[in-house]
Amino acid sequence: MRNTTHRWGALAQLLHWTIVVLIIVQFTLAALAEDLPPLKKLGMLARHKSVGITILALAILRLAWRWANPTPALPETLKPYQRVLAHISHALMYVLLFAMPLSGWMMSSARGFPVSWFGFFQLPDLVPKNRALYEALLTTHGTLALVLGVFVSLHAGAALAHHFLFKDDVLRRMLPFTTTTQGSER
Amino acid sequence: MSKRAITQGARALPARWLSATAAALCLAAWAQGAAAQSAAAQAASPVHYVLDQAKSTLEFTFMQAGAQNKGKFTRFPVSFDFAPGNLAGSRLEVTVEIGSLDTGDKERDDTLRSADLFAVAKFPQAHFAASQFVSTASGFEALGKLTIRGVTRDARVPFTFRTADEHGVAAGYMSGKTSLRRLDFGVGQGDWKATDQVGNEVGVSFALRLTAAAR
Repeated sequence: MRNTTHRWGALAQLLHWTIVVLIIVQFTLAALAEDLPPLKKLGMLARHKSVGITILALAILRLAWRWANPTPALPETLKPYQRVLAHISHALMYVLLFAMPLSGWMMSSARGFPVSWFGFFQLPDLVPKNRALYEALLTTHGTLALVLGVFVSLHAGAALAHHFLFKDDVLRRMLPFTTTTQGSER
Repeated sequence: MSKRAITQGARALPARWLSATAAALCLAAWAQGAAAQSAAAQAASPVHYVLDQAKSTLEFTFMQAGAQNKGKFTRFPVSFDFAPGNLAGSRLEVTVEIGSLDTGDKERDDTLRSADLFAVAKFPQAHFAASQFVSTASGFEALGKLTIRGVTRDARVPFTFRTADEHGVAAGYMSGKTSLRRLDFGVGQGDWKATDQVGNEVGVSFALRLTAAAR
């Protein structure tokens, strides 16, 4: 359940992979909504917003869990500049986990379309209705999505490189049902 | 003066007493007649009111994607002949210029005006006409016909009404709220018949300032 110094625990893994799946869902829904007629677009974007709020909630949980747990150390073999890059990109992805849903939520508020979580409850507006602000947030949300896409690709590429080229535990320790060379899951 | 003294006086002057009584009775009868006449005059002609558009609102609320959204109409001429004491002679006519709808979002407004929803090009106006009014515990109710998108249905609209003398201008304040189902009027054709993203129930509320006008 909990993390160790060399392996991510079950909950951290669950949160990581759930968010991975939801981010893929988000990109898909946003792309699908693009060319739909108004009503279908409305439905698609309503789902996109609900999933986004879900990610925001999971991100909060994930960060809280990270603080309450040991963080598995980076492999000894990493060069200092690689460590710096890893830390920067991890931090940036955490920031984006918040910035993406929040910019989307603010964008909806600015547009004057309140956000609902799957129709179960309505969220408060974060900013007052403002067309110019909406336009700015729309651009921001799109740009951040692009940045997120780039860093997620780098992150996935790096994980695969660690696994297949450097043959270390970096990928394995975030996977369930695997053992790491430095110790098994507790 | 004692009772006895009055009796004695009346006895002493029976003719004068009688004529005074007769005069009093006549006066009373005349006054009563005049009052009845003025009541009849009031009953016969309710005050004619027209809308003060700048100080009136007609708003609607609807569920969109699970969240409540708002809109309003900005042009909706009203003709209201009303006297709380003469409901039988009262009449209400409201014409809503559908094209004036404003939900604060141009794209959405254009969609609402399109053929599958309000079809403004074909049905530029909605109309409410009531000639039947009843008093209720909290105010009044107008019973009439509501026409939206060419479909006419019976509608019952509760409202409160109060008058105010504003520097010599007789103003009337009318407000209330009700709800209707958009699909009863065909507002939503094709895909828009679905109610999962855009609810069927639409709340309507109004707060009108009316001013007395010559007919």
